[in-house]
Amino acid sequence: MTARERGERRAALGFVAPAVLTLAALTAGPALWVFWLSLRQRLPVFGIDRFTGLAHYAFLATDPRFWSATRVTVVFTVASVALELLLGLGIALALRGQRVGRRSALALLLLAWALPGVVTARLFEWLYHPAAGLVNVVLGLGLNWLGDPCLALPALVLADVWRTMPFVALFCYARLLTIPPALYEAAAVDGAERLATFRFVTLPLLAPVLLVTLLFRTLDALRAFDLMYVLTGGGPAGMTETLTVYAYRSLFQTLRLGFGSAIGVVVFTLVMLVAAAYVMVLHRQEAAA
Amino acid sequence: MRRRPLIVDLAVLACLVLYAVPFLWQLVTSFKPESELLHVPPLLPSRLTLAHYGVVFTRSAMPRALGNSLGVGALTTLLACALGVPAAYALATLRVPAAGALMLGIVASTAFPQIATVSPLYLVMRALGLRDTWAALVLADASFALPFVIWLMTRFMREVPRELSEAAALDGAGRWRTLAAIHLPLTAPGLASVALLAFLFAWNEFLFAFTFTATEASRTVPVALALFPGVFEVPWGDIAAASILASVPPVLIVIGLQRWLVRGLLAGALNE
Amino acid sequence: MRLAALAVAALLLAGCGESARRDGPVTVVFKHARMFGDDPVPRLVAAFEARHPGIRVKTEALGSASDEQHQFFVINLEGSLGPGRGPGFDVMMLDVIWVPEFARAGWLLDLTTSLAPGELDGHFPAAAAAARWSGRVWALPWNWNVGLLYYRADLLERHGLAPPATDVELTRAVRLIQGRERDPRLEGFLWQGKQYEGLTVNALESLWASGTDLLGPDGRVLPDPARAEEALYRLYDLIQRGISPDWVSAADEELSRRAFGDGRAIFLRNWPYAMDLFEGPGSPVRGRVGIAPLPRLRGDVAAPGATGGSLLGVSRASRHPEAAVALARFLASEEAQRVLAGGSVLPTLMALYHDPALLAKRPHMPVLHALSLVARPRPITPAYLMLSTSLQPELSAAVVGVKSPARAVADARRALEYALSGIR
Repeated sequence: MTARERGERRAALGFVAPAVLTLAALTAGPALWVFWLSLRQRLPVFGIDRFTGLAHYAFLATDPRFWSATRVTVVFTVASVALELLLGLGIALALRGQRVGRRSALALLLLAWALPGVVTARLFEWLYHPAAGLVNVVLGLGLNWLGDPCLALPALVLADVWRTMPFVALFCYARLLTIPPALYEAAAVDGAERLATFRFVTLPLLAPVLLVTLLFRTLDALRAFDLMYVLTGGGPAGMTETLTVYAYRSLFQTLRLGFGSAIGVVVFTLVMLVAAAYVMVLHRQEAAA
Repeated sequence: MRRRPLIVDLAVLACLVLYAVPFLWQLVTSFKPESELLHVPPLLPSRLTLAHYGVVFTRSAMPRALGNSLGVGALTTLLACALGVPAAYALATLRVPAAGALMLGIVASTAFPQIATVSPLYLVMRALGLRDTWAALVLADASFALPFVIWLMTRFMREVPRELSEAAALDGAGRWRTLAAIHLPLTAPGLASVALLAFLFAWNEFLFAFTFTATEASRTVPVALALFPGVFEVPWGDIAAASILASVPPVLIVIGLQRWLVRGLLAGALNE
Repeated sequence: MRLAALAVAALLLAGCGESARRDGPVTVVFKHARMFGDDPVPRLVAAFEARHPGIRVKTEALGSASDEQHQFFVINLEGSLGPGRGPGFDVMMLDVIWVPEFARAGWLLDLTTSLAPGELDGHFPAAAAAARWSGRVWALPWNWNVGLLYYRADLLERHGLAPPATDVELTRAVRLIQGRERDPRLEGFLWQGKQYEGLTVNALESLWASGTDLLGPDGRVLPDPARAEEALYRLYDLIQRGISPDWVSAADEELSRRAFGDGRAIFLRNWPYAMDLFEGPGSPVRGRVGIAPLPRLRGDVAAPGATGGSLLGVSRASRHPEAAVALARFLASEEAQRVLAGGSVLPTLMALYHDPALLAKRPHMPVLHALSLVARPRPITPAYLMLSTSLQPELSAAVVGVKSPARAVADARRALEYALSGIR
């Protein structure tokens, strides 16, 4: 290593160190600490702080509420992401040929994405109001969307799809704009039908974007919290209680810091698995590009 | 491709207006007289009233919360950019030891679920006596804003042609000078996008704010909205007005700063 | 006697004001839930400030649900004695079930020595008991609640029925009245089945009615599973048989109160605050509502209502403990409780229940007094919230029918035993 290279490394460290140290304190540190917390019985109200090993995990393994929350989390994630992708793709295709009011179109679309989750929760709480909610009024129904154990989760998924679909649509739309028109002209010359064009031209070009969005959205859906916490609070009968809500309630309803952290660790692990897949895909795409 | 008829464009626009109805409905609700709230249809109010906004402004925690959110959002953005931009510059242009691992760690930490880090951070804030202060929220929000800024800015800075910085180095410019004179101006639009998103994320953040704030001294807009006090009955009109106020910055960003928002978003997850 | 106590209190308060003034004005933050209707708290605070020129009181509203308020306090009080700015409030309105927990955690100022001898004597014994934990006084009783049955006196009378004493009678009354009235919008029996503290209360009342309890004398959870299953089945069955509409599984106090208040139900389990709204001007059921004890499940087992209400505590981290204690004592005093009782809040001081001036406005107070004396508190333990919050999902699942009562009881026992194992 030359003196110049050594100097550059030193300088680089000077640039990077403040950010990296801050990050270490705010993310990596807590991420390690939460594992340690999850191995402890920590109940500040009772002045208890002792090592308990894997006891919390052992309890969780046979805890029906935990498995119910896991099921809700998975159903929420799969349903929400699938619907978002389908709808988002549809909107993107519809927007592709848009010439009039493109900016307004994007504004109307992105609005839903940009709002705080708590606002979304309040919007839908009002839309789902059993007596005066727009949903019931328009559909002529008298359903108790958020109070019915069968309807609450679909209602929650719908609210989440509303909020996050624009994100998917935007990505697909941006990718669609980069497809050279020449490809479509070629397809048209070959006499390809609309559906065939979509199947053999659009979709393959869109696939990498869809995959990345899918993973990104999955990761986000797994850790979602504010929407369900404010909209349903996990009820009724725990039918919308995700792992994040169960973890938060355990942590802060009565400060069971160790137990709640154990659920947090489970969420962490799930998210990191998806994140690993995400990074790998990004990497592969980068290499291919 | 063939140009499609205007009518299709208009139909798509109409669909998107329908898509915004949940928000528009809340907007209508916020101007509806109390007595008409629970009597639907008719959908539209017989007259418009500012009463709900009056209540929110004079008798709720919302005004203070708006100030807190603005302050926390601005400071978070500032902190994340102040620390993140130099780091991104180094990662993009200099030989940083273990750069690959660092980058991986930074990207990974944007994905950390808040629910997993909230309990340690709660203990940290408590130990430092930071609960119920802006500082707690700025630090907590930096935990997602900072890695995000580093990640995106590294990408933008990589696109700055090497020759430019080499030319600057030949002119005797130091690294900070190069960053300030070459990279920052060239990546300014990118930085604007990234800062905008960091602000938006901080504005919308709920979990940390809900946990680390106690009083009006630090309570942000989403928390004030989530805890909007009713007694036993729900003040739907007031909540609608408060939701609309909470939505003002996002709406302004979506309408006025759309170009920057879209650029930042696309850079965030797409790899083009 | 009462006058003398008041005079002493006034003197003490005046003394506090003096000392505070010497150090310049101090600000005390009072964290409380908003009161129903015309909120008397601002008036009381103004009266207090007028008498204590050295103290300014800032009131801050809490969220509306008890669980939400509890979470707020827990997050902010824990560690509040350490470095930093303290919890940001001095006097707090405490739900009756929190006092042992907050006292155990060391968040409350011990008020024992700040009180005049016998200061708690005039309160309901259960209210005074809720203020104490391990022999010390940690809070001052402020307002009172008791679970009871509202019935539509007019409907019962029209069909020649007496207020039901048992579930069987209640069922018969619902069937008969619904059959004869032919009003499809008229529901039978409303209660609170939403997944929150209110459900725990309703379930506890059901447990007591079936002759068991949440905690056994030895501290075991749900010591009699068979009776506990019976108690949960009772709630589930009310919905299944159509005696209660299925939406009670999502109903809180206010939702059920509104439906009954609109004349859309025959029976309602709720707290006393509802009576004042039923009797308010413009109420469709004005003058048509009666109050009775909760129905029994078995003829030979009492069915007490649960007690509720709130107390005033002072944060141990308060910067101005003297001023904070003065405020709490003023708000809990007979003078202030009388003002509160003029609204829709029930006082904890028993004498006010037979006070002629108040009776003119709230004639049902003696009945509430009688019901209160046979009512029963929820388990008094620092772990109450831990128990209740772990219990709620299981109760909700049983009421909705997602789980059988047997499963719910078994799961609840496991979850609660595990939660309790941490503190044993």
